[in-house]
Amino acid sequence: MIVADRKPLNEILDMVKRCNRILVVGCKGCVTVCNVGGLKEVQILATSLKIARKIGGFPLVVDEMVLERQCDTEYIAIIKETVTDYDAVVSMACGVGPQFLSEAYPEQKFYPAVNTTFFGGAVSHGIWEERCAGCGTCVIHYFDGLCPVARCSKSLLNGPCGGSDHGKCEISREVDCIWDKIVRKKVEQGRLDDLLDVVPAKNWQSARDGGPRRSRREELIQNG
Amino acid sequence: MSEVYEPTLIAFCCKYCAYAAADLAGSMRLSYPSNVKITQVPCTGRVDIIHLLKAIENSADGVYVAGCMEGDCHFVSGNLKARKRVEYVKKTLTELGIEPERVEMFNLSSAMGPRFAEIAIDMTDRIKKLGPSPVKRGDT
Amino acid sequence: MTENTTPSQIGSVLVVGAGVAGIQASLDMANAGYYVHLVDNSPSVGGLMAQLDKTFPTNDCAMCIISPFLVEVGRHLNINIIPNSEVESLEGNAGAFRATVRNDPRYIDMEKCTACGQCRQVCPVTAINEFDCGLDLRRATYIKYPQAVPLAYTIDRSICIGCGLCEKACLAEAITYSDSPRRTTLDVGAVVLAMGNEVFDPSGLTPYAYTRHPNIVTSLEFERILSASGPYKGHLMRPYDRETPSKIAWLQCVGSRDIKPSGHRYCSSVCCMYSIKQSIIAMEHAETPLETAIFYMDMRTYGKDFDKYQVRAGDEKGVRFVRARVHTIEPVENGDLKLRIVQESGNMTEEVFNMVVLACSLNPSSQAVLLANRLGIDLNAHSYAKTSDFNPVTTSRDGVYVCGSFQGPKDIPQSVMEASAAASGATQLLSAVRWSQTKIRDLPPETDFSGQDPRIGVFVCNCGINIGGVADVPAVREYARTLPHVVHVEDNLFTCSQDTQEKMKQVIVEHAINRVVVASCSPRTHEPLFQETIREAGLNKYLFEMANIRDQNTWVHMKTPEKATAKAKDLVRMAVAKAAYVEPLPQVILGVTHAVLVVGGGVAGMEAALGVARQGYQAFLVERSNRLGGVARQLQHTWQGQSVPAYLDQLIADVNNHDRIDVFLETDVVHVTGTIGNFVTTLRLQNHSEQPRIIEHGAAILATGGKEYQPTEYLHGKHPAILTHLEMDAALAGQTTEFRNAQVAVFIQCVGSRTPDRPYCSRVCCTHSLKTALHLRSLNAGMKIFILYRDIRSYGLREDMYHQAREAGIQFIRFDTDNPPELFLTPDPDAGFGKLNLRITDHILNRPIEMNPDLVILASAILPNENKKLFEAFKVPTNADGFLVEAHAKLRPVDFASEGLFLAGLAHSPKSIDESIAQARAAVSRTMAIVSREGILVGSVIASINPERCAVCLTCVRTCPYGIPRIDPEKGHAVIEAAECHGCGVCVSECPGKAITLKHFTDEQINAKTHALFCA
Repeated sequence: MIVADRKPLNEILDMVKRCNRILVVGCKGCVTVCNVGGLKEVQILATSLKIARKIGGFPLVVDEMVLERQCDTEYIAIIKETVTDYDAVVSMACGVGPQFLSEAYPEQKFYPAVNTTFFGGAVSHGIWEERCAGCGTCVIHYFDGLCPVARCSKSLLNGPCGGSDHGKCEISREVDCIWDKIVRKKVEQGRLDDLLDVVPAKNWQSARDGGPRRSRREELIQNG
Repeated sequence: MSEVYEPTLIAFCCKYCAYAAADLAGSMRLSYPSNVKITQVPCTGRVDIIHLLKAIENSADGVYVAGCMEGDCHFVSGNLKARKRVEYVKKTLTELGIEPERVEMFNLSSAMGPRFAEIAIDMTDRIKKLGPSPVKRGDT
Repeated sequence: MTENTTPSQIGSVLVVGAGVAGIQASLDMANAGYYVHLVDNSPSVGGLMAQLDKTFPTNDCAMCIISPFLVEVGRHLNINIIPNSEVESLEGNAGAFRATVRNDPRYIDMEKCTACGQCRQVCPVTAINEFDCGLDLRRATYIKYPQAVPLAYTIDRSICIGCGLCEKACLAEAITYSDSPRRTTLDVGAVVLAMGNEVFDPSGLTPYAYTRHPNIVTSLEFERILSASGPYKGHLMRPYDRETPSKIAWLQCVGSRDIKPSGHRYCSSVCCMYSIKQSIIAMEHAETPLETAIFYMDMRTYGKDFDKYQVRAGDEKGVRFVRARVHTIEPVENGDLKLRIVQESGNMTEEVFNMVVLACSLNPSSQAVLLANRLGIDLNAHSYAKTSDFNPVTTSRDGVYVCGSFQGPKDIPQSVMEASAAASGATQLLSAVRWSQTKIRDLPPETDFSGQDPRIGVFVCNCGINIGGVADVPAVREYARTLPHVVHVEDNLFTCSQDTQEKMKQVIVEHAINRVVVASCSPRTHEPLFQETIREAGLNKYLFEMANIRDQNTWVHMKTPEKATAKAKDLVRMAVAKAAYVEPLPQVILGVTHAVLVVGGGVAGMEAALGVARQGYQAFLVERSNRLGGVARQLQHTWQGQSVPAYLDQLIADVNNHDRIDVFLETDVVHVTGTIGNFVTTLRLQNHSEQPRIIEHGAAILATGGKEYQPTEYLHGKHPAILTHLEMDAALAGQTTEFRNAQVAVFIQCVGSRTPDRPYCSRVCCTHSLKTALHLRSLNAGMKIFILYRDIRSYGLREDMYHQAREAGIQFIRFDTDNPPELFLTPDPDAGFGKLNLRITDHILNRPIEMNPDLVILASAILPNENKKLFEAFKVPTNADGFLVEAHAKLRPVDFASEGLFLAGLAHSPKSIDESIAQARAAVSRTMAIVSREGILVGSVIASINPERCAVCLTCVRTCPYGIPRIDPEKGHAVIEAAECHGCGVCVSECPGKAITLKHFTDEQINAKTHALFCA
């Protein structure tokens, strides 16, 4: 799933500083699952903003709602009638949400309440880690399901660098050296020789380096 | 204002311990300030971040959660979760420019009537020193 | 025991003694279809446990954990509490007794007393407070403790001067000076004795100077000193000058393990643990550094998780454990006390302490002994009720059962287990007349208010003058009238009185009230009463809210009436605000499968299955091996010398012959689904020769047993003369004579127990060694027998055996873990396997000793059987040692946290066969509250899921402390079974989608109270 972190309150307060009335809109997709943008967080943010503005003597009216997903136009259409009642809309979805909203409602201002961070999962409750870089050309079959593109600080494809230190990456004791894990797994499985084959240089055009990406599925596209 | 400010505090008390301790303080005829009003919850694990923030939004001068002693939660670990939520709210208040000491977590057993009174006295004193909630000041 | 179907049996039971054991037995029986008369000679229930501050080894607050039990027993429709009463005689026979009970006057009518306490306020007489062990005072008109049940005052006429002030003050007109003793007769089918113990009075032990100095206190006095509600409000002080002590000594075995006539020969079983607990708690209470020392003979921390508790106390908390006997306490200046100590080496030393706690023994009270004599119950040499190892809760009189410390000195969990076991004995006897004497409440159907706006009625109580004398009740009442949705207000002298309750019912109907708010005392004590009343008026009991304007208001703010009035208004406004949002919570009745699954075919499992069958219900007994019997097959005698094989043969025959028991051998439990009352379990034969069998059952008992550790230490397996206990038992049972001629036999204790890998005591090994040593002595009077030990843990009445062993010339040599005995094997051409050589340092001489044993017996640890898959199937937890974890170490020792699942025997912790039998029968009793019913009520204050909002994020699954929520892949959302939810609300507050609500404590309801408080 897409993992995100809530922005500091001051940043959000700054975005809405001229507003009298806003809508905070959450998303029931990834950000609910990673405890950042579901109804619970929408209520917390809405209440926090109201508190801040009460202190400032410039009260803010905040309405709260959660959409099934902010990355589908049909769900976004639900706020069609009300979206212009507000001075601005704060989205708690990943970066996709405010953009879909903006495209659907060009007349309104949309602000992000979260920083979208990575594709990953919960390694335990309350701790999420990055697992995928969305590079567009998956190579994890070379590495028995472990991705050095996303998980090596340098995205090295042919073994660790000199910064691998007892299983950790030199950038932080909290970051595992994925190459250490790849090698150990190969040793355990008795297939260390696999690593003698050189993985060819990666074509980064399929990643962001090739510019904004788009995916087409002809058989799904309606009306020609 | 020359008079001492009389704040209003809300205490979320677990029915198994702090609420019973408050009753015991009453049976022992212990005196504590009338500023504190109790809301009973089945476990402090039920006390949500939003409950604490709503109290602050409604101009509470002080808010506290009182659960069982750590390790003695009737529901295993609800009081530990409550403590983490209180910590979260303290951080949020700091971000909002409100004194985090206005929110607190306490642990006590049902036999600790005197401790209940002591907490009520200490918290009321603490809040009196801090004065009215900035939320309330903004109101006026 | 045979199944009794005599039609003249009576479906009521008499329980004598309302301590924790009597309460547990009463609740078990009342919940399984019997009417219970619970008699106690005290004005209130609770017994000794109510006086304790904390309980070991969890350090739970004793009052916190017992008070829900007090409230339940006090409110139970089928428990009749008869306080201030003594059983005078018991006529008749098992099944139909007639008890004569003397009811001593209370001088206050319990029916009328509202416990407002006004009588105490005006009473001019001061008396010693016995509940606080004389460390505090009370009035002649008093209540034993604030949480007492029944919650009613008593007049102590022995000191009352008859001034009449209380009679004038009592607005409920409850004072009855003219009361006199009455006699009542009770017809009951069975009797459970639970008279408990009292704490030994050390006054007669002159060297301990108890009567000569106030800073020498008994252990119970120290409990009260530590108690937050005790005489010093939980501040650690010594009585002499109310100074905080900086050094306290505990003296163990005061009145216990004492061969002088002034004391008791037995071990009191609990003192080592309570002294450790007190020393830890005292350090926590002390505001300045506190030094603690415990002077002891043997540290008897033999129970589940006790050894770890002791190790932690020593290593982490710094409690000093001194193995030495204190022979005199001598007061010195400043209230301090000088101890003269005989060290283990024989040297005398002296040390000064600020305070001394005497760890006093337990003993049956003289009244209990007299009562037992009146009832014709045989007592043993120590004045405890005589029982046998195979029937540990059965007295010498048919139909009369015993439990708790009147059966022998013991701790709370063991008492609670026996209480349930005794209940199971009584209910088995009376199984033919189950539900014949019980009452049911006749209730009108609940009115449907759906779609109607709230119509709130507010009842403000004056509580005599308790509320009305401080706060302005009419003003509060009139204020309530102005609040939203309020359609009726009134104030009452006593809202809880019988006549007001009747009136309330009429008013509810007349004004079409659909939500009720009572502003009075605490919901803790009175909510159930008012809920019952509104239910009788056709309202669901959750359409109710209370404002606590007495205990949390007028009792606190007596000196500031205006503030009390203002706060009462605030509290009423908050209650009304929530009341507008409360909803009826209908409970659903789920049918119950009247059968119990028992897993494990050892003694505990067979006793459990047989108990269930004899109660009249189907039992399924699953055993993974090819025969019944378990580890007991390897045992010969119980600690009291009864034959295990004879008992076991009979038990197996009874199990096999009972037509309500289906035995499945060589069978595994492979899958379990369902909840309390309705489980579905799949059994599979290990050889897969048949299709898996699906069993439906209402409850399950896990009795998966344990085994003896196979030592790798002390050359085990390398020499035929080195045997474990069970190997030795087998050798002795065979006709072999080879050990008879041994010259030197050595027992080594704690082999595999109390080690870093296995940091627990195996509990039974000391007694087992003593028994075997005495057996060897009887075979060969000339044999030199040594027991090499760390602590001899012959707890309770087992101490008699230790005594006998020493008298029989068996020698005891103590060793430490850093200096253990060493065993060597030297090749010897004369002896085929070589010669054994043992070295140990004598603890008194402090010199090494060598011996050449012909026989070495290793007191090997008890291990739990491994059953990883089985435990996963039932989702039951194990501790670090592999033993199953019960719902609560103190008060729910037979239950799992998951409803409907129970445990017994060695799978729970090491224990002797009598203790396993008691726990198994206790488990039977616990299942009866489920399977004897037609249905069980589920619902009310539980978490429920709104599927629309559920993001299947797993937060609830991961955060529930009981592991109840699960994701239903078919439904595509999380599911929380109503019958399993404990109602804590943790998942509700964690759910990121706000998809879960805790009924009666919804966000809306909680926030409404907050809003009402601040935004009036």
